[in-house]
Parts: sequence; C-alpha cells; structure tokens
Amino acid sequence: MELFLMAITTGVMVGSIYALVALGWVLIYKCSGVLNLAMGEMTLIGAYVSLSFYSMGIPFLLALLFSLIIGLILGILTERIFLDKLIGKPVLTVIMVTVGLSFFFKGMVELIWGTDTRVFTPPVFSIEPIHIGPVIVGQAYLWSFVAAIILLIVFVCFFKYTRWGLAMQATADDEMAALSLGVSARFVYAASWAIAFMAAGVGGTLLGNINGLNISVGYLGLLVLPAVVLGGLNSIPGAIVGGIAIGILQNLCGTYLDKYFLGGVKEVAPFVFMVIFLLFKPHGLWGWERIERV
Amino acid sequence: MSTTWLPCGVYHQNYVQDHAWWQTKFIKGKMILLFIILFVVIPLVADSYWLSVCNSIGYTILGALGVQLLIGYCGQLTLGHAAFIAVGAYTSTLLTLEFPWPKIMMDYGIAYPVSILIAAVTAGIWSVLFGLPSARVKGFYLILTTMAAQFITVDFIITGYVSRIGGRGQAFSLPPGTIKVGPWVIDSDLKVYFMMLVFVILCVIIMGNLLRSRVGRAWVAIRDNDISAEVMGINVVKYKLLAFFVAGFIGGIAGAFWISNLAAVSPEHFPWFWSLWLVGVILIGGVGSIHGTIFGSIFMVVVMEVLQLAIMPLADIYPKLLMDFLFIKEAVFGLAICLFMIFEPNGLAYRWWQIKNFFNLWPFSY
Repeated sequence: MELFLMAITTGVMVGSIYALVALGWVLIYKCSGVLNLAMGEMTLIGAYVSLSFYSMGIPFLLALLFSLIIGLILGILTERIFLDKLIGKPVLTVIMVTVGLSFFFKGMVELIWGTDTRVFTPPVFSIEPIHIGPVIVGQAYLWSFVAAIILLIVFVCFFKYTRWGLAMQATADDEMAALSLGVSARFVYAASWAIAFMAAGVGGTLLGNINGLNISVGYLGLLVLPAVVLGGLNSIPGAIVGGIAIGILQNLCGTYLDKYFLGGVKEVAPFVFMVIFLLFKPHGLWGWERIERV
Repeated sequence: MSTTWLPCGVYHQNYVQDHAWWQTKFIKGKMILLFIILFVVIPLVADSYWLSVCNSIGYTILGALGVQLLIGYCGQLTLGHAAFIAVGAYTSTLLTLEFPWPKIMMDYGIAYPVSILIAAVTAGIWSVLFGLPSARVKGFYLILTTMAAQFITVDFIITGYVSRIGGRGQAFSLPPGTIKVGPWVIDSDLKVYFMMLVFVILCVIIMGNLLRSRVGRAWVAIRDNDISAEVMGINVVKYKLLAFFVAGFIGGIAGAFWISNLAAVSPEHFPWFWSLWLVGVILIGGVGSIHGTIFGSIFMVVVMEVLQLAIMPLADIYPKLLMDFLFIKEAVFGLAICLFMIFEPNGLAYRWWQIKNFFNLWPFSY
C-alpha cells in the first residue's frame, strides 16, 4: 500500500511537470494549428540555459528568470523565422518543419553543451527526503510540483484575465472573427510560441534537477505527446489532466511491471497506452470532434 | 504533379502507350546509358570509398521507397519506418545465424536469399500490425502511432529481448563469409554494390508497376480524399493495410540487404533519427514521385559526405570538430529540411520535371 501511495505521489509530481510542457504544446496547437514535434528539444534548451546561468553562480530563481527571458526571445525568433512563412501550408509540411527544427536545436545543444550528463552544482534542493504521513518524497520532486502548479495557475490566470490572454483565446476559438475584431493573429502566433518555449524551459529545468541533465531529457519532453492525446489536442484542462495521468502511469508501470520485463517499461508504457487509447477514443477525453465532409 | 509534355510529333493513341515505361526513343537511349553507367562505368571507376557511398545511397533509396509509398502515394503519415527496416534486418540475421539450415542450402548460398524473402514478409506483417490504427485514425494521430511502433519495436522488443537470443549481449556479429548469395560470398563493397543495384531496380519496378495498376490508383484516391474514395467503392481499410504491407515489405528488403554491409547488427543502427531521416529524404526529393525518392537519397547522402570532406581538413586545426561532426550533421539536416519546406516545398523532383518539360518543348515553350 505504501509503495502504491508513493508511486502515485511521485507520479503526480513528475506529471505536473509534463502538464506544464503539455500546456505549451496545446497552446501552440490551439492558437496556430501547428503540431509541434520539437517540444522535447525546447525543454532541453531551456534546461541547459538555466543550468549555464546557475553554474555561473547566479541564484537559482534568477537563473530560471533569465532562461524564461531567453525562451521568450527564442520562441519569437523561431516563429518569425520559420513558422511564419508556413501559414496555410499542408499539415505534413508544417510537422516536418518542426521535426527539422528539433534536429537543428538538438544538434546545436549537443554542439554547445556536449552530451555528458550535467548536474546542478551545488544542488538546488537538499537531498533530505520529506515525510508526508506514510509517504516519503524527495525535495526536488516536491518543489518541482509546487513550481509547476504555481506556473500553471499563472498561465491560466493570464488567459482568463489579461488582454493578451483573451486575444489568444479569441484567436484559438475563431480566427476569422478575432481578426475582424482587431486581434493581430501574427502577434498571437508569436506569443503562443514564446509561452510554449518558456513553459518547456521551466519544465526542462525541473526535470534536470531531478535526474541530472543530458540529451534524454529531450525524450522526456516527447512524453507530452501521449499526454495531449489523452486529454484531447485542443483542450488546456485536458493537457493538465493528461500530463498528470501519464506521470502516474509511468511510475506505476515502473514500480509494478519492471520486474516482469527486462527493463525499459517505464519509457515504452506511455506510448503503448497511447496507441491503445487512440483505437478507442481518437479525439481524447475533451478534444473537439470534427465532422468531415467531402 | 502532372505528366510531362511529350516532344513535338509524338502522340499517344491508347492507354497502353500512355502508361508505358519508356515512351520515346530518346528516353530509351537515356535509360540504357544510365544502366551502362550504373553497371559498368561506376564499378570500373569508383574506388572502395565511393562504392560505399553508393551503397548507402542505395540503402537510403530502399528505405525511403516504403516511406514514399505510405506518405507520397497513400497519404498515411509515418515516422517509424526504421522499426520495419530493423525487423527485416534482425529476421534475416537470426535466420542466417541461428536457423539449422540443411548443409546443402548453406553450401549453395540459398540460405541468405531465402532469409531476405522471409524477412521482407515478416517486416510487412509487422508493419500491418502497426498500420491497424490507420483504420480509425489519420493525420497527426497516425504519426503518433507509428512513432510508438518505433519505440516499442526497436527500443523495447529488439533491445530487450531479441538482442539476448543465443546469449548475446548487445549486437549480433556477422562473421565474414556468413552472407552468401549463390556461389558468391558477399565480402567486398563491389559485390554489395551489385546486390544493391539489383534490389533497387527490382523494388522500383515493383512499385512502379503497382502504382499504375488498380491498387496504385486506389492508393492515390485515398491520399487525395479518403471519404470520396470510400464513396467510389474502394475498400479503404484494405488498401491502407496493403500499403502498409508493401511499405514494410520493401523496408524489410532494405534491412535484410543492409546486413551484408555490416560487421554486426545492433539496435543503434535503427534509431528514431533514421525514421525521420527517411521522411526528410522524400520531402527533399519530392513527395509523390519515385524518382524524387532517388534524387532525395542521392542529395542527402552526397551532401553529408561533402560536408564531412569539408570538415576533415579543419579537424587538424580544431580536433574537437571531428567529435562534433555527428552533431553538425544533425543540425545541418534539420536546417536543410526547414529550408526546403519553406523555399522548395515541391522538392527536387519538381525542378527535374521543369527541366524535362523545357527540353521537350524546346524551342517553342509556349
């Protein structure tokens, strides 16, 4: 029972990070219709940038802030240079551009920072575990959870109450109507990429704090895909629920199934689950079901 | 892309002429010249290095043909084709190494060719298994399921289970002399080159013939609009699965062929990167054309080789570059895809089509 509770708790906490990255993904899809496969590499970039600032001796929160700013700049640049020219092109074209971007980013990250595993030194969170009732949780997990939840709340408030957030919601809902009301679609596209880059950067930094930072963090960023499929591609609550669900699933499989297989269950389980889920509910839990006409 | 214009004075009076392989005397001459270059000139002129470059071009073509069939002709987006190539390679390796062949078959070198055939069929069936979701989902969701095929097949099943068959740890080593076709032991780049030519030509002919038959037209109809294809009486699920089978079959041939060029087979030969690379190849070459696949393969492989040749002299000054070449390659590949998609979305095949039309209509190009 304790094992089960611990798997669930850890799952929720890691899942909240996935939820944060998935939120960025859904945002891009909702606002500009781009299916982004470069999300994993975006987490990598953010993580490495904040690591670099942190190893220069800058306090962690400040380093995170700097990486947010760089994420903002990179997001706008990416959108302006690559995606802006592809509005209205076929789906495959746009997807492959994001695949190309992911290679470009990955090559650049490897070129600049190398492939060795790096850790945040000195450790940001103390290694002492915390006891919550019967459950033992590492501090890194707990603080990541808190940070992810705070950021999720900030983003949701941004969409609900600020002028820019409302403009983005309007564009996602009906682009033509939003354009006629004076919302600049290009601004919204750029803003969605910037926010996604920022969210991915924070997610990557938190993941890097838990396990150390190397290229495989980019693979963890790829786990947003099962998460968004579970929640439905264009639902922000769906992304959050999906991210947490994938985190729990991964940890449960790691805890209970690992001894029956020769390893690798934790990595494959979300994708197996995704394929089976797609066969029964292709539009996810809360995604829009589009009616197709000839 | 529509058909090319015929030169002045050439008319087609029936469909047979319209669909013929080599339609004019000029094309016939050109193709014979090409065959002479491929079969005689290159083996005579090229040294071992350039032959191995040719071999990797051929391997890329074989791998990309299946992707071209799925994406370019049937409209089923796939990002996990390396999984099927891996299935082909592993089936063939296992059959050649572990299966108790009768001695007479080993002596006459029948074992490897038979294993290629079995490998191709296995890869085809494996591909159909992961094509099954295409009955319900399409577009982006299909990308996700084929991606899952890659992770499940290569990272889980092959790494965790298949690699352990026979007490091996990671890789299956292929001792020299294992790969035998008929009386020839495949042990030099030249022999691999000839085998590659045979397979590439065979697969191109198979695909070309499929595409000008009822099956191919059904695939194109599904690509253009699957609902209207269904309305016209095409069994969409059946033809989609058939496309997956043929794509997997060709992928299996590619994998089974490639082991003749390797000293050892390990899961690192079939990473997700390779799946994406193949899709990149057909996008750069041109979606929906067989010669686009060939152009794309040549372009990508040659560009990477030239890049390597350009970087080598610099490596004396900065030794770190040699280590970083892999990363530079990745970044350049990514950038190339982005730029092609933005500035040349129709690929190299479109330029080829323009050139052909220009010369066919010359000097009256209006």
